[in-house]
Amino acid sequence: MSLGASLRTDPKRELWFAWYSTVAFYSLYSVVFFVLTRTQPPGRPWLTPEQTVAWFADRHWGLLVGFALIFVLGGFSATSISLITYSIRRMSVSRAYAYSYLILYAIAAIPGFLFICVAMTVGAMRPERDPALLHWLYDFGFLSFSGTMGVFLVGSLIWMAAILLDKNGVFPRWFGYLNLCNALTEVVIAPSWIFQRGVLAWNGVIAWWIDVAVFGMYTVVFIYLLRSLIQRDDLGTGPVPAPVITG
Amino acid sequence: MTETERVPGEGDMWFFVVFESLVFTSYFCVYLYDRAQHEHAFLKAQSALNLPLGIVETILLLTSSWAIARCVQEVRAARYRSAQRFVLATVGLGVAFFGCKLAEWVRLIGDGHTFTSSEFMQHFFFLTGMHAIHLLIGFVVLGVIRYQLADPQHRSHQTIETCSTYWHTVDLFWVLIFALLYIVR
Repeated sequence: MSLGASLRTDPKRELWFAWYSTVAFYSLYSVVFFVLTRTQPPGRPWLTPEQTVAWFADRHWGLLVGFALIFVLGGFSATSISLITYSIRRMSVSRAYAYSYLILYAIAAIPGFLFICVAMTVGAMRPERDPALLHWLYDFGFLSFSGTMGVFLVGSLIWMAAILLDKNGVFPRWFGYLNLCNALTEVVIAPSWIFQRGVLAWNGVIAWWIDVAVFGMYTVVFIYLLRSLIQRDDLGTGPVPAPVITG
Repeated sequence: MTETERVPGEGDMWFFVVFESLVFTSYFCVYLYDRAQHEHAFLKAQSALNLPLGIVETILLLTSSWAIARCVQEVRAARYRSAQRFVLATVGLGVAFFGCKLAEWVRLIGDGHTFTSSEFMQHFFFLTGMHAIHLLIGFVVLGVIRYQLADPQHRSHQTIETCSTYWHTVDLFWVLIFALLYIVR
């Protein structure tokens, strides 16, 4: 069957669109934050206002191009949230779990994702402003991005509870427990509001490096499991068929 | 796998145990590295801790682990009333541990040893705080056991074993935290 015919007839095409958009979004996210804007790993929290001005100048075009891409394409983050919401709807649990997750993540994306893009773009677009103002934008950007990770905590716990209560076998139960591990690391970032140096600062070994390692593994795992769900899904309401083992 | 060889509780729960152990191990490595860098300052700050209270806390949690293990034994023998008593004992010992921990935090903060007063205290409050969060989740888990024991229709030996595995994990983390923060000099 040709690709065009497959697209017209495949009943799972919307799910596959959401899944490929999710992969594309996380790839774009990594390139923008780690390569183009170099806002991850985060800058040092103890910079002076003058050093902050130099930090913005050093990344001027990267910030503009990178976050322009996010403003144009960042809406695709909604596809990953919608796909996860679908996965919870596919479970045998109340719809309240899915809607709670959807609302929580939609709201959480504003401080946890968009604020840094706006703050850093303002800093890059207005380099002539008072260094104290740029310093404020720098703090605001990183603290909103890293310091508000806790807003994702409840979402992870909702997903965990849904997986552990589900009877349809949408996800393996160990992934429910991995959600708990991820939620617990979201707590760890909270002290970054207090510390400007050390392991708990926003660029610290515990608050950033260990957290990102856990979050990175969690993200790869859930993207893989969502793909597996779409492959197995019969689009019904009962138990999801088990994977077919070949060979 | 035969009955005698099987892993207690739900196999998937052991994923949590291993993964969370790795996360805590990474925190311990960071603590030991920082300690090696500032050994004298860490020793000085460490002297503010109350070792006897730490020992009492450890005994409380170890006893709670014994109580939950007895609970599982009683469940396997279908003695559910006795199992309920052991799970209540576990809750009581856990609450006593948490009370001691709160008292210790209040005393330290009263003496000027806060989250930001030194690097050692930063690690101390972080590690004991993270452990306390795991402990609080443990109370929910113990509530699940209590619910299962009270209702014969929802009683699942596997779920009770899974929940007790979580409680033992919380205990294990405390033993390691106690050794690193209170004992290692």
